[in-house]
Amino acid sequence: MAVNKLAPVNASVKAGAPAAAVVPKIRIDRARKTFVQKNGGAVEAIRELTFDVAANDYVAIVGPTGAGKSVLFDCLLGLKTLDSGRIEIDGQPIANYIGARSGRITRIFQEDRLLPWLSATDNVALGLQIRGVPEKERRDIARRWLADVGLHEFVDALPSELSGGMRQRTNIARAFATAPEIILLDEAFSALDEITAMKLRSDFLTLAHHQKMTFVMVTHSIDEAIFLGNRILVFGAPARVVHEIAVPPGAAEDRVVADRIRDEIRTWISASGRDASRTVNSELENE
Amino acid sequence: MANPPSASSGNARLRQTSLWLFKSILPFAALAALWQFATLFFPAFLFPDLLHIVRDVGQIFTSWDMLSAALVTWGRLIFAVAVSLVIGIPIGLAMGLSRGIDDFVRPIVKFIMGVPALNWVIIVVIWFGSVELRISFVLVMLCVPITVFCVYDGVRAIDRKLTDMVLSFGASRLQHVRLLLWPYVKASAFTATKLNVGNAIRTVIVAELVGAPSGIGRELDMAKNLFDMPMVLAWTLVMVTMGFIMSFGIEQAERVVLRWRGGSHGRE
Ligand SMILES: Nc1ncnc2c1ncn2[C@@H]1O[C@H](COP(=O)(O)OP(=O)(O)OP(=O)(O)O)[C@@H](O)[C@H]1O
Ligand SMILES: [Mg+2]
Repeated sequence: MAVNKLAPVNASVKAGAPAAAVVPKIRIDRARKTFVQKNGGAVEAIRELTFDVAANDYVAIVGPTGAGKSVLFDCLLGLKTLDSGRIEIDGQPIANYIGARSGRITRIFQEDRLLPWLSATDNVALGLQIRGVPEKERRDIARRWLADVGLHEFVDALPSELSGGMRQRTNIARAFATAPEIILLDEAFSALDEITAMKLRSDFLTLAHHQKMTFVMVTHSIDEAIFLGNRILVFGAPARVVHEIAVPPGAAEDRVVADRIRDEIRTWISASGRDASRTVNSELENE
Repeated sequence: MANPPSASSGNARLRQTSLWLFKSILPFAALAALWQFATLFFPAFLFPDLLHIVRDVGQIFTSWDMLSAALVTWGRLIFAVAVSLVIGIPIGLAMGLSRGIDDFVRPIVKFIMGVPALNWVIIVVIWFGSVELRISFVLVMLCVPITVFCVYDGVRAIDRKLTDMVLSFGASRLQHVRLLLWPYVKASAFTATKLNVGNAIRTVIVAELVGAPSGIGRELDMAKNLFDMPMVLAWTLVMVTMGFIMSFGIEQAERVVLRWRGGSHGRE
């Protein structure tokens, strides 16, 4: 059986090897986060969220919009703090690890978010610049990465001189240039046309494989989740794992398996609450 | 990868330049013609002959006394505008970054902005003995609020997403300012400077008339006492030109520094 039906919550922890044998790359343990709004109301973004990510895992998260997925990434980077619960990376609490500042974890956004006054090279070098790498060295690294994403002719171009796909490539190069151990992708390919997105996804996968990267991605496209992830987590709103699916290798090419996973995700999304089913299903119907 | 200039494109450029020249001179030529027309109907001490005015402009540029008066005033303008950047940028930046500072400083800056220029002139005459201090103070008080609000708006207009991006790479507060805010602050500083040059040029004479025994203000005062209308107008021309030259210089610098912004959109 290719697709595992696991208990909705906390599945991977229970199903894993004997406890404490392997320290997971990322451990999120009963995380909670609620925002108090200006009008005094409260928005619960993350509720009792628990899951582990093993080293070299490729985890795809699908879930309704407003489910707190981006907030979760902020917390993973140390930009926001949880109300309660814990996030550990390599067994260390995120507070000690100082998230983004450690350079071991970076994020790729949906839009390219390049600085318009910097050349492609300097944009790619930005993460290195922030970490204090000398100019010459970081430019060399940046140019190499631009070449790796197929932009060696555009090292001096300003973002306004690049196409959308080229900007997103620059964006990916920027994330890889800091040599992080973990990359968080927040709808990284959804602003692109499907042909460009397909090419970039497989390029990304190759790079992630070469660099022995661990990644966690948020996507609204089930096909993208199946193509990139080896595990798919279905989130409910507020953020919590309502279901987990293991994606067997080659599932994206195997019509039968892929269809089964799609159905399973749809079922769980519609079961995970009225809000959730409405928003995500409408997205899925467009596929 | 610009095309090599060919003969035809060179011609086209020449034609474009002369058209541009013609278009920029036309309004002034019309103004001059209107003036010359008026001289036919009014006594010379009200509407002096253009030639006379031009001759006086020539006199300003050939007499060291007068030229130095112009340079003194020009120096004061540049100094005040520069100082207002040094004072205004940190304040605007701090206001943009911190709500608390914004809440506290904004009313003060608004208050200062509300004081009429002439009131400042009178205040400084009572406060300070030094001429340069008086004039700088008035001009700086006039320019700083504009710089502050330009910089503030520039910082506030920065896309939240870029801020998130920079922080996601672990930027410290200082790096955030240096790598992300500073380029926008530079853009705002140019806007502020352009506004301030116009502002300062309109005010500096008032300050000099009341407070200073040197500069264009004094020259104008003398011309006024002699009912020397051509000289008054010659000085006026010199000052307006001074403003044009300064804005032109600022715009050129802006083009170089803010090259990434490109031209304005939505116009042919
Ligand atoms: N700084 C904040 N202050 C108050 N509320 C916030 C803040 N950031 C996020 N929220 C709220 O938290 C909830 C989760 O937001 P989040 O951006 O994480 O959603 P998401 O799952 O990423 O959605 P999408 O799929 O649309 O990107 C939303 O209801 C949002 O309004
Ligand atoms: Mg989001």
